[in-house]
Amino acid sequence: MQFALEVKSLTKTIGKKTIVNDVSFQVEKGEIFGLLGPNGAGKTTIIRMIVSLINRTGGTVLVNGKDLDNSFTAAMNELGAIVENPEFYKYLSGFKNLRHYARMALGEVSDERINEVTKLVGLEKAIHDKVRTYSLGMRQRLGVAQAILHKPTILILDEPTNGLDPQGIREFRDYLRFLTSQGTSVLVSSHLLSEMQLMCDRFAIIEHGKLIHISSMHENDASEAEKPKTVIVEISDPIIAAKLLAEHMPDIKVTSKEGSRLTLSLRKDKIPSFNKLFVENNIDVFEIMNVKATLEDRFLEITNKDRKEQTT
Amino acid sequence: MIGLIQNELMKIFGKVASWIYIAIIVLAVLIAGIIYMKFSAEPNPNWRQDTEAEIAMLENQKASASEEEKGMIQNQIDQTKEFLDEDINPNAKTNWHFMNDVVVGVSSLVTLFVVVVGSANVAAEFSDGTIKQLLIRPHQRWRILLSKYIAVILYALILVLTLIVSGYIIGLVLFGNGDFNMKIFEITLEGRKVAIVGEQFLLKMLYFIPSLLMIMTIAFMLSTLFKNQAISVGIGIFVLFFSSTLGGIILMLADKYTWAKFLIFPHLDLTVYALQERILQDITLPVSLSILAVYYAIFMMLTFFFFQKRDISI
Repeated sequence: MQFALEVKSLTKTIGKKTIVNDVSFQVEKGEIFGLLGPNGAGKTTIIRMIVSLINRTGGTVLVNGKDLDNSFTAAMNELGAIVENPEFYKYLSGFKNLRHYARMALGEVSDERINEVTKLVGLEKAIHDKVRTYSLGMRQRLGVAQAILHKPTILILDEPTNGLDPQGIREFRDYLRFLTSQGTSVLVSSHLLSEMQLMCDRFAIIEHGKLIHISSMHENDASEAEKPKTVIVEISDPIIAAKLLAEHMPDIKVTSKEGSRLTLSLRKDKIPSFNKLFVENNIDVFEIMNVKATLEDRFLEITNKDRKEQTT
Repeated sequence: MIGLIQNELMKIFGKVASWIYIAIIVLAVLIAGIIYMKFSAEPNPNWRQDTEAEIAMLENQKASASEEEKGMIQNQIDQTKEFLDEDINPNAKTNWHFMNDVVVGVSSLVTLFVVVVGSANVAAEFSDGTIKQLLIRPHQRWRILLSKYIAVILYALILVLTLIVSGYIIGLVLFGNGDFNMKIFEITLEGRKVAIVGEQFLLKMLYFIPSLLMIMTIAFMLSTLFKNQAISVGIGIFVLFFSSTLGGIILMLADKYTWAKFLIFPHLDLTVYALQERILQDITLPVSLSILAVYYAIFMMLTFFFFQKRDISI
């Protein structure tokens, strides 16, 4: 299978400092792939090397199978990008800005296509106004428009939600969903973990210029069933409930008690049986809450483990 | 490539300033025309009689003058006679005279605006951050830079044409249509010489083009290397206004140090060749042009090499 983007042992050194160290990953067709990492980890440098704003010290980049080194223009035509906040020629209208980029595509991009994209991002009313008059959200939408004009295989976004309000971020996510449903892949970098959690299918964690972890956002269900889960229950009588659990279901551990809430650690398939046990013993169950491990927890878990390994 | 140049022209003419520069040139020519009309002598249809009368008066003066003064007055008589001999009206004023005497002077305004536009062209892409969006397109960097360079050259040509056309039209309105082939005296370092007014004007404009191109290329290079419009405009203007002064100083040094001859400044203003054959014993137009060509090649190589290599990390 051909990947939308394939990055092989990408390296960047400036002087003696290694900023990006042997990073490899692949982005499949139609998926949203996240690059996660603290500020200064090298995400932006990786992205800028992929879009050829920064020279690579080593490594190869294939965009839809085309090598940046020996078929530069063909490979560049397969990608669309927004690098940080999209900047435009403020003294030109949104439409002229788009036409400017349309002229730079390899294939012909017609005015109809510009209008179609304008409509998709919902800028038809303002498209003939000067960009100077646009709000940040509108500029971001125009940024999306310029990146997808030539129907790229992969969309590359560097910190795309920086400075957007929640409304704008949500809109932005919706565009991405729409685009991936059309078969476009997305590579997105961010240091905002919660944001990435909502956006990505898979993600890679970058730290100190190294790729330290790649995983899927939705862990595979079979392995999930085996893992202990954390569940919080709100019940009328937590003390009796705790006793009952200790007597009848010893494999469920009570990890903490707080008012009318118990925090339990158990396997997923035990949830119905403890519920039944409580109900049969006249304990009212108000809520059973599944505590999802957030990306942040996993991120910290992974990076902490990495740090420990480094120090030992 | 044509698409890229179209883009660059769209960006140049998308700025109001670019249109204002054109308007300022027309305005400057108009103001210069009005001043020229008000403050120079009216053309006289009976100039031959007047000139002859002047000579007669000078002859009278000479008769009663002392020995020392006689030589001086004789000189004056000879010069005045030349007007009659060559059939040159000393105070003729037509659109061609206006263009040769005045419009040529406005050309430094053209250079000034070309420096401003050429400097902004690359530096503004960096300061506005638009360079990022520009260089992630399926085009080699040198092509993008070349399209910018060509667009600035086209803008420069438009300014030069504006200067010539507005000079011609304003001259026509204010002074009437003159004979292109009218003869004039041009004052040069080597004395006076007879020239054809229209040819002389065209020659000066032609010699103006290389210096315009050089100063524009310097500004373009600085703006690409330093990504800073202020630096490149500043140095560009400095070169524009001080190159003749510096050139003069350097020419004085050239007697002592041969290498000084190869500095760029004495060669930047080629319009002197419209008046004289050589600026130093061994420096003629072809020599100056060759020296400029070497500088030009170096500037272009530096500009394109660094632009191609540069990491864009703004």
